[in-house]
Amino acid sequence: MIFAIAWRNVWRQPTRTILSVTGMAFTSMLLVFMVSFQFGSYDTMKASMLRINDGFGQFQAHGYLDEPDMAKTVTSPSKIMDAALALPGITAAAPRANGFGLLANGERSFAAAVVGLDPAADPEVAKISTMIKSGRALSPEDDASIVLGEGLARNLRVDLGDPVTLLGSAVDGSVAADVLTLVGIFGAGVPELDRQIAQMPLSRFNETFFMDGDVHLIAVSGPSLPSVEAAEQQLTHIANDFEVTYLDWAELRPEVRQAISLDQSTAMLMYGTLVVVVVFVILNTLYMSVLERTREFGMLLALGMKPGQIGRMVWAEMIFLSLLGTGSGIILGIALTAYFQNVGIGIEGMGDVYAEWGLPSRFYPVMTLERVLVGPAAIVGSIALLGIIPYRRVLGLEPVKAMAS
Amino acid sequence: MEPIVTCRGVGKTFGKGELAVHALSGVDLDILPGDFATLAGPSGSGKTTLLNMIGGLDSPTVGEVVVDGENLGLMGKGELSEIRLRKIGFVFQSFNLIPVMSATENIEFVLELQGVSRSERRERSLSILSDVGIEDLAHRRPGAMSGGQQQRVAVARALVSNPAIVLADEPTANLDSATAYDLVRLMRRLNEEHGTTFLIGTHDMRVLENSRRRITMIDGGIDTDERI
Repeated sequence: MIFAIAWRNVWRQPTRTILSVTGMAFTSMLLVFMVSFQFGSYDTMKASMLRINDGFGQFQAHGYLDEPDMAKTVTSPSKIMDAALALPGITAAAPRANGFGLLANGERSFAAAVVGLDPAADPEVAKISTMIKSGRALSPEDDASIVLGEGLARNLRVDLGDPVTLLGSAVDGSVAADVLTLVGIFGAGVPELDRQIAQMPLSRFNETFFMDGDVHLIAVSGPSLPSVEAAEQQLTHIANDFEVTYLDWAELRPEVRQAISLDQSTAMLMYGTLVVVVVFVILNTLYMSVLERTREFGMLLALGMKPGQIGRMVWAEMIFLSLLGTGSGIILGIALTAYFQNVGIGIEGMGDVYAEWGLPSRFYPVMTLERVLVGPAAIVGSIALLGIIPYRRVLGLEPVKAMAS
Repeated sequence: MEPIVTCRGVGKTFGKGELAVHALSGVDLDILPGDFATLAGPSGSGKTTLLNMIGGLDSPTVGEVVVDGENLGLMGKGELSEIRLRKIGFVFQSFNLIPVMSATENIEFVLELQGVSRSERRERSLSILSDVGIEDLAHRRPGAMSGGQQQRVAVARALVSNPAIVLADEPTANLDSATAYDLVRLMRRLNEEHGTTFLIGTHDMRVLENSRRRITMIDGGIDTDERI
C-alpha cells in the first residue's frame, strides 16, 4: 500500500507533476537523440575512414604495425582468409604485401610505399583501389601494371601508359627491380596516401620482392563495422592459431580513437551538465513537496508508521516521477531518432570537404539499447541517489514537531 | 483492575533557563479499562502535552508513562511506533486523513501496517464503517466528505485495530454543533458497546456533559478528577 500511496501522491498536484515530467521528458528525449546521433556519427566516420584503405580489421605478423619490417610476414594467407571468411559477420578478406622503393620516370624519382594487392579481393575490403581519377583500377588479368596516387603521379610526371621503374629492397635483402606500366591514377582525398601509395598486383609483387607467397597483412571486412567488432574474439583466436596478430580498428587507427575520446569527453561534460541541471530542478520540486507535507508525515508517524516507511514512500514517489519523465522522454527520443535515422542530417557547406575524406555528406543517428538508456538512466540514478536528502529529512522528523508545523 | 495508562510524576519543560516553560508538572494519573474520560481545562493547561506523552508522541522531561504495561520512557523510536500502531488510536482535531486514499483505504492502512491480511482488512474496515454509520461513504476520498464524516472515518481508523486506548485531542473543535454532538454520542456508544477506553482532551461542553470521568487541568497539573 505504501507504493499505492506514493503513486497517488505523485498525482496530488497534477500541474506540478506534469511540469516536472515534461522537463525530464524533454531532457531525456534530447539525450536519447544526441547520444544516438553522436555515436552514429562516430560509426559513420570510423567505417568511412577504415573503408578507404585499412579495412575493419587486419591480421599482421607480430610487431609489424610498430616496425614494418619486410621480413615480418604472414605465411599462410589463404588458410587465415578461409578461417576468417567462415565467421559470421566477415564477408571479405584481402591479402596485401607492402614494400618501399624508389619509383622513377626518366630523370625523376620519388620514394613510394608499394602495395601488392589482390585486384579481385581488395575492393571488397577497401575503396582505395577503386577511387580512380583517371585510367582504371588493377584487374585480375594485370601483371606488370601499376596504379599511382595522383600526388605521386604528378611528382613523377607520368601519364597513363608510361613505364615506371621500380627499385627497392626485396624480403631477402636483395635488389627488387621491375618496370611496370601505369594503368591508372587514384585519388583517395587523403594527401599522405595520394603522395605515397603505388599499387601493383600481388602476384607481381610476390615475384619482384621474392615474397615466396607470403604477405604482410590480411585486411578483413563485413557488412558493417559492428559486425566485424562482434567477431573480434573469434578473429583473435584465428590469429593465435596462426601465430599472427589481429588488430582492430582502434589499433589500426589510434589517432581516430583518440579524436573520438576527446570528442566524447567534451560531449559527456555537456550531457552531464544537462543531467545535473534537470536533476537538481526536479529534486528542488520534490523537496518542496516534502516540506509542504511535514504535518502529514507527523500524522503518519502518530498512526504508527515508521520513519523509514515514510522515507521509502517519499523515495518511491521520486522514482515514480523520474520513471514517468524519463519513460516519456525515451518514447519521444526513439520517435525523433527513428525519424532522423531515415532522413539523416546534412552538414551544410561541408559536403565537399567530407567527400575528400571519404565521408558522406549526411550523418545518421544509430540507436542501440545502451545509447537510448544511458541518458535517462543517469537521470533516474541521480534522483534515486540524491533522494537520500529528503529521505534523511523524513527520518529526522519528530511526530509532535512535525504535526505542529 | 490494572490501569491501561499510568502516569507517575510526569513533567514536561520546553526550553531552557529563563525561557523555560513548564507545560506539565508532577502529573499522576491512572486511566482504567473502559474509561470514557475527558481532560478539560483552559488553553495552555497541558491537555495536549499530556495526551502527547501518553500517546508516545513526545517524551516527558521527568516521570514515567506506562501504557498497557509498557514503560514508554524505556523505548526507542521504532518501539514507540509499534506501541502507537498496536495499542493507541488517535483522533485529531483536524481529522488528518490521508487525502489520496478512500475511507476504507484510510482505515485499512493501519491494519496493513500491522500485517493484517487483505481479506481481513476489508472485512474489518467495512464493519467499523458500518459501526460509525458511514458505510455508504466507503469509497469516497476525504476531500469529498464533510468534516463530520471525515471525523467519523478518523474514529473508525482509531478503533479498527482494537487499541488499548483511544486518545482524542479536541475532536469536535472543527465541527458544527449538531455534528459535534453526533460524534460525541458515537464515541460514547462505542465506549459502552465495545468497552473501548477513551481519553479526550476538550473544552467542548457537549463532550464534557457526556463524560463519565472528568479530569480538569490547570497550569500543567491535575486540579480535579471526578467520576460521574
